[in-house]
Amino acid sequence: MIKPDLKHAILDELRLEDWQIDDETTAAEVPGWDSLSHVNVILAVEKAFGVRFSNVEVLKLNSIGDLQRLLDSKLG
Amino acid sequence: MMVGLSGNLYTSSLRMPRGVGTEHETAWSRWCKNAAERPNSEAIIHWTGGEAAFRWTFSTLLAAAKEYASSLVERGVRRGDVCAIILHHNSQLYPLYLAVCAAGAIPAILAYPNPRLHPDKFRQGIEGMSRRSGLDWILTSRELQPVLEPLVTGSGSTIRGLHFPLEWEAHREDSQRLQEHPPQLIPTDPLLLQHSSGTTGLQKPVLLSHNAVLEHVKRYAEAISLTNSDKIVSWLPLYHDMGLIAAFHLPLIFGIPSIQIDPFQWVMAPSLLLEAITQERATVTWLPNFAFNMMAFKVRDEDLHEVDLSSLRLIVNCSEPVRYESHENFLKRFQPYGLRPTAFSACYAMAETTFAVTQTPIGVVPTAVALDRASLARGKVEPVTDGVPARICVSSGRPIEGCEVRIVDENRFDAAPGSVGEIAITSAAMFSGYRNYPEKTAEVLCDGWYYSGDYGFQVDGELFVIGRKKDIIIVAGNNIYPEDVEDAVGAVPRVIPGRLVAIAEENPELGSEHVAIIAETSITSEHDRKSLRLEIVKAGMASGITIASVYLVPPRWLIKSSAGKPSRKGSREKLMTDRQRSEVWSG
Repeated sequence: MIKPDLKHAILDELRLEDWQIDDETTAAEVPGWDSLSHVNVILAVEKAFGVRFSNVEVLKLNSIGDLQRLLDSKLG
Repeated sequence: MMVGLSGNLYTSSLRMPRGVGTEHETAWSRWCKNAAERPNSEAIIHWTGGEAAFRWTFSTLLAAAKEYASSLVERGVRRGDVCAIILHHNSQLYPLYLAVCAAGAIPAILAYPNPRLHPDKFRQGIEGMSRRSGLDWILTSRELQPVLEPLVTGSGSTIRGLHFPLEWEAHREDSQRLQEHPPQLIPTDPLLLQHSSGTTGLQKPVLLSHNAVLEHVKRYAEAISLTNSDKIVSWLPLYHDMGLIAAFHLPLIFGIPSIQIDPFQWVMAPSLLLEAITQERATVTWLPNFAFNMMAFKVRDEDLHEVDLSSLRLIVNCSEPVRYESHENFLKRFQPYGLRPTAFSACYAMAETTFAVTQTPIGVVPTAVALDRASLARGKVEPVTDGVPARICVSSGRPIEGCEVRIVDENRFDAAPGSVGEIAITSAAMFSGYRNYPEKTAEVLCDGWYYSGDYGFQVDGELFVIGRKKDIIIVAGNNIYPEDVEDAVGAVPRVIPGRLVAIAEENPELGSEHVAIIAETSITSEHDRKSLRLEIVKAGMASGITIASVYLVPPRWLIKSSAGKPSRKGSREKLMTDRQRSEVWSG
């Protein structure tokens, strides 16, 4: 499940009022989240939660559920 | 169109391989010669984030290419057939490409479909392209079979079959046969098909011979003072001339290594390029302007601890207008990591001339001129005076050997000195016309001159490129046609039919442009406007286009052209002036 604070960080970066985001949602399904803005979304999430993702971690993400799990693992 | 060899390429200081571009040489014979002369030298290093790189030597690369070639021939691929390659970037892409050439067929690398793009749109695009390019076979992955299969059985398509080479077993015995009976290629045979930009399904195919490519890379190698101690690094896609000709064919022909990074990986983790330069001691790379910004602004300090850019002697800015600020920001960020200020350079290039037209001198910071912005908008090149807004333009250099450049007015006569005009080019490596597209060829090619549609000016023989004649939007090196965007969003309910335009907006953070829409609508509530903005963005998504800004305006706001249609240029200018007015809603 995608927690509200992650959803909020993503939507805020993409200037979206609201958008359905669940575990299986991929970046390509979210308006404005394309290959060029991907790095901005990742940096925004890092900033919002005070965490750092490595290149390898970022490259392995396939869905927003993966991002939530990675974030949870960082926040312990 | 081809001209003879230039003698000074063979000076001992450059230590070029002997005989590049000799009378009987083809790219295939050149690769075979490299494999024979330097079998264990590295040819291609396929760089992947978080995994060990896959390293091809010239001998292993050629051996794999021969195996793939045998399999292609066994499956019906014949000399002269056009083979579209639609695959994710992976280590097998390189021998497969060489294999198509080995079979005497013609490779055409096409972009793997963006996940947002509707499958029907993708298929229609390939179908349209197949009519011009005469695609015979598609080499792809199983994932795309359901989308592409209808093209094989459908009427009106030239495509005879799909192949899935990543699933093939090796055929060593057959490859031995190919070795004993190499293809009888001659220098004037076509080597490859590359596509210039165009609206969806109407990309313009450019067919290049072995001779054309060999001659061109030889001239360009001279322009960038290439030596056999150079090591190329690139994250560029191979469906683009900069990635294909400069970063792939050039090193393969000259027998020097190239490090290839998947473009999708690089854009998600831009520090991968810095990592590859550091670890492989790379010396030369090509980047579109936005990539300078991506790395200057989107790489964290923590990712730079081990970065050392001191090996890099040349970074060529190419494929979108060069922005002075991008070079400044990149230098500021990376000089502490060994980047030399003299490594910066710029090039003006296009598929129609194989690749390069101009190149700035090596080891010298490209010339920059500060011009009066208002005069420039009126087409006049005038130095800026104190207190007047300036635009700093960066040179793309002088024509490389075999090329000439003119600046022409709207009637294709030489423009007055100090004027902005269309850039016209003649080149020894000029295409002879778009394949199966005579009407488009006639528009741009006349008496040996190619009229590029780019706007620029010359100062002391140096070319400065500042924009496009047409309304094309250049986003991160990709040309986007406003017609495509307008078609994609034209049917969105509550936009007044036919009353919208797609325009380019400068994005200083990205160091490029992005797509903006100005649409007329009668709705006025904030809630409705926000929901309409989302509908417009979603409609762009389905066509694989990211719309970054939406401006909603009242009926009859857009400026009309003389033909009665909304004028992109006029409406864009009005927006720049009236953006703050309450009648313009932006989101």
